[in-house]
Amino acid sequence: MRRSFIARHPSVLWFILCLALFTLLVTVLSEAAGVGGLSTSFVKTLGKTLCLCLVAIAMDVVWGYCGILSLGHFAFFGIGGYAIGMWLMHARTGALVAESLSGNVIPPTETEIGTAIANQIFGVVGASEFPAIWAFSHSLALQLLMVVLVPGLLALVFGWLAFRSRVTGVYLSILTQAMTLALSLYLFQNDSGLRGNNGLSGLQNIPGYEDTPQATISLAFFWASAAALAAGYILLAWVVSGKMGSVIRGIRDDEARVRFLGYHVESYKLFVFTLTAVIAGIAGALYYPQAGIINPTEIAPIASIYLAVWVAIGGRGRLYGAVIGAAFVSLVASWFTGGGAPPVDLGFYTIQWTDWWLILLGLSFVAVTLFFPKGIGGLFDLLGGVRVPWRVGDYGPGKGAWRQEEGRE
Amino acid sequence: MLRTLLACLTLLWLPLGAVAQDLQAFLQSHRSDIADPSRRTIGMVIDDLVALDPPGTAAFLQAWQAKDIWVRADDGLFFRATRKSGNLLALHDIATGDRVADTVPGDALTQVKPNGGVRRLIGEALVRFQLSDPDIALRRDAVNAIANGLDRSQIVPLAASIEGETDPDLKARKEQLLTFLEARFASDPADRISAIEGMAGALSIEVRAILNQILAKDFEVAPTLPEGANIATILTPGNGLDRDTAYAALVTAGLARERIGADILRARLEAHIEGGAVGGVPVARLDTQPARERAYAALVAEGKAAPLVTVAAVDAALETHVFYEVYTEPDSTITDAARAALDQIETRVAFSQVADLTLDGISLASIYFLAAIGLAITFGVMGVINMAHGEFIMMGAYTGYVVQLFIPDYTISLIVALPLAFAVTFGAGVVMERLVIRWLYHRPLETLLATFGISIMLQQLAKNIFGTQARPLTSPGWLDGAWVVNDVVQISHIRIAIFLLALMFLTLLLVILKRTRLGLEVRAVTQNPRMAASMGINPDRINMLTFGLGSGIAGIAGVAIGLYAKVTSEMGADYIVQSFMTVVVGGVGNVWGTLAGATLIGFLQKGIEWFNPSNTLAAQTYMVLFVILFIQFRPKGIVALKGRAAGD
Repeated sequence: MRRSFIARHPSVLWFILCLALFTLLVTVLSEAAGVGGLSTSFVKTLGKTLCLCLVAIAMDVVWGYCGILSLGHFAFFGIGGYAIGMWLMHARTGALVAESLSGNVIPPTETEIGTAIANQIFGVVGASEFPAIWAFSHSLALQLLMVVLVPGLLALVFGWLAFRSRVTGVYLSILTQAMTLALSLYLFQNDSGLRGNNGLSGLQNIPGYEDTPQATISLAFFWASAAALAAGYILLAWVVSGKMGSVIRGIRDDEARVRFLGYHVESYKLFVFTLTAVIAGIAGALYYPQAGIINPTEIAPIASIYLAVWVAIGGRGRLYGAVIGAAFVSLVASWFTGGGAPPVDLGFYTIQWTDWWLILLGLSFVAVTLFFPKGIGGLFDLLGGVRVPWRVGDYGPGKGAWRQEEGRE
Repeated sequence: MLRTLLACLTLLWLPLGAVAQDLQAFLQSHRSDIADPSRRTIGMVIDDLVALDPPGTAAFLQAWQAKDIWVRADDGLFFRATRKSGNLLALHDIATGDRVADTVPGDALTQVKPNGGVRRLIGEALVRFQLSDPDIALRRDAVNAIANGLDRSQIVPLAASIEGETDPDLKARKEQLLTFLEARFASDPADRISAIEGMAGALSIEVRAILNQILAKDFEVAPTLPEGANIATILTPGNGLDRDTAYAALVTAGLARERIGADILRARLEAHIEGGAVGGVPVARLDTQPARERAYAALVAEGKAAPLVTVAAVDAALETHVFYEVYTEPDSTITDAARAALDQIETRVAFSQVADLTLDGISLASIYFLAAIGLAITFGVMGVINMAHGEFIMMGAYTGYVVQLFIPDYTISLIVALPLAFAVTFGAGVVMERLVIRWLYHRPLETLLATFGISIMLQQLAKNIFGTQARPLTSPGWLDGAWVVNDVVQISHIRIAIFLLALMFLTLLLVILKRTRLGLEVRAVTQNPRMAASMGINPDRINMLTFGLGSGIAGIAGVAIGLYAKVTSEMGADYIVQSFMTVVVGGVGNVWGTLAGATLIGFLQKGIEWFNPSNTLAAQTYMVLFVILFIQFRPKGIVALKGRAAGD
């Protein structure tokens, strides 16, 4: 008899439990619903971190399970953010414009309101008309659809082109990086229709909830992020389990053999690539209203590389590893760069962590790659008494194949 | 006492006055104009003076411009004066410059103070005298002054000064300016045409500006085409001429009624609100354009407003008028000649631009080649993408900067910096290979990430050591300047040097790879590492040396790039993506492939920039898109390895 999904994957249950407990704890400690031990801005940081965890598990499925080192998933994350940001900005500016036009003797026509909104939004880049890509920005439903559709379609087209011509390994990484670069360069242009390097701002003001305090909004977004993370985790855990999961892992370790076994490798890769891109887009749509601003710098190729770094430090090929990696590195990064870490006085030189944090990150990253391929997640193997099986060499000839040390018995 | 002195002076003056009669007499006859000059009247006076040209005119004009001319209160005579101690003046004769009196109290005379506009007119008049001045600096100034403001009156003096000009460069320049002046101002059309035809051989922006001035056009509109006007083009609304612009021109010319736009309509409605309604439509209902037009129509019916201009009326107005561009120059033979000359020049400019673009492309290609070849070799041999390659470029540039701190002579420091940069980055590359990359063979993706870790480390380290501001890497004097072919085609010496450097390294690498034992082994490992190992080649050693070599060339590239761009901790990141593109497009592990890739990327980038020069961001975007598409058709690059060496 087949055991249930949860029984076969107890880590999912444990993860959901931990996440629920964490959410409860934050709620109790928050200003909006509890004793107020956590500041609103810290609740926002935690909410943003959960979104980063969501995009990290998406990255883990693409890289850790399927062996595609995509350096473009943060671009999908950014597209999601832009998609929701367009509606937020349109609706918010619309409310402001309606307020300022209500003083007119003659009530404004729709054209006049539209022109005024466009002027308000695009004045900074010297334009006064809505570009074509803003055609749906008046409607929340359509724009939410864009959050899913645009990253999904882009990933579908790009992935189809790339996988079809059998671009693999480092080439594929460079190609995805090129895609990310092209997108960010495009967005940097003033005539891209997305306000150039000004980006979209004021996203923390949710239209219709102007009177609600930010503390409540931040908690709501925290819950939403936690729910999205839980849902994404279960979905992706289900995707990578079972027969399909085996095929995906097989592609990672030995793509040619899976192809010879009769599986249509390209379809599997394309499915994984597109699904994770959509999840990244959703994560971005939840992240940027909490961050309040999005600009093309967020999409720059380096962000996607950091995403890979989080997954590697957390331990690739295990979803909770990606969550741990993303949460740990991004929180530690904000601690170090925010001046939270005390400077170290060496007598002849004082180490200011704002200057040396990147060097520490780089070093620890090289160390993890060299000595702890299982990352932080590998610690759970020690706890659970999982032993590394004895075998010679890696799991397969694939470029992203598991290393000998990463296996479990 | 004073009176007697003055009387003596007058006596003294008399014999001299006879000599200077002409100038002084002329000035006396225009005394009020000169003593209290206004811009409107003084021009004619100056022209008359210059035409008469009595002795001492040039000196007088100079003194006048310098506010050194004083008028004696008693008799109204003009003197050149220099201020002695306190309020005392020394007076000189206006024409000869002889000293007339030594100490005259200043309140006995009035200073002539021409304002700025008058002084400029004086300056223009002076130019004609200075054109033949023995001092070449003054002559040059005068010629430049003419070039800055061409004027009809300059033709005669300029032509007169050419004969006696001794300096050949200045003479050529004067002749060129004379051609310009004749082309624009000569009274005989035949002279103008021949001057214009003479200009057709040149390429300079100046010549094109002159021709464009001759071809200056005005946009005009009229019910019918005017007779005898020198029409440049006839424009049809909707075809080359925006209909709105055309109608706006009609309105400006008073030939049509202004269209009432949405804004004006609203303002007029607002002005006629009566009892909460306009023309019977309640104000609250005026939130759509049709409702507003209904209300306005009601106003029109009541005679309170002018009717709207209908679309049909606009069409009819556009239909019944001609829109044309007319040359300000009335003579059509001259504009035709200028047009022909300009066309001829523009064709040659286009050719020159292509040549210039090619030079630019070559120079960019050589930079990309230098930046990418190291990456290509290591990628070919080890299958490893070194994300820290850009930081090796930066390391080389900083090496050059540090060397310049110790060796002040730029030429020597450059000669020292090139090999030193190679040595430093070679060492860094070998250390990195030994410590990190060696342990990650067959793990290309993890190598990519590990080298990325090293890259952010090196970048931050450079920031901590050298600070965030850009550091200069000064090129030696003989590399300054540019090789100028003509006004369009030119290329800086640094870029030529980089091209030669790239050529040198191309040759060097070809020799190493094709003619040495090391090269043989490198090629063997590139093609099949296992087979190479079984033939007695130590792949470990080859990997180390190749990585060192690749990094070393990056260091050299860093010095070269640093010479024309600023040295910052982020400069490597600017080149790393381009280097990737070059390698990916060119194909792996092949010098010719990298060369082809660099050439393609370099020319492509310049080409796209040429189409859209204002937007380098767009150029880069299109280039990246092109590379993505290119990979679709040639996934292994231009020069692909074949057979088992290709890996899969």
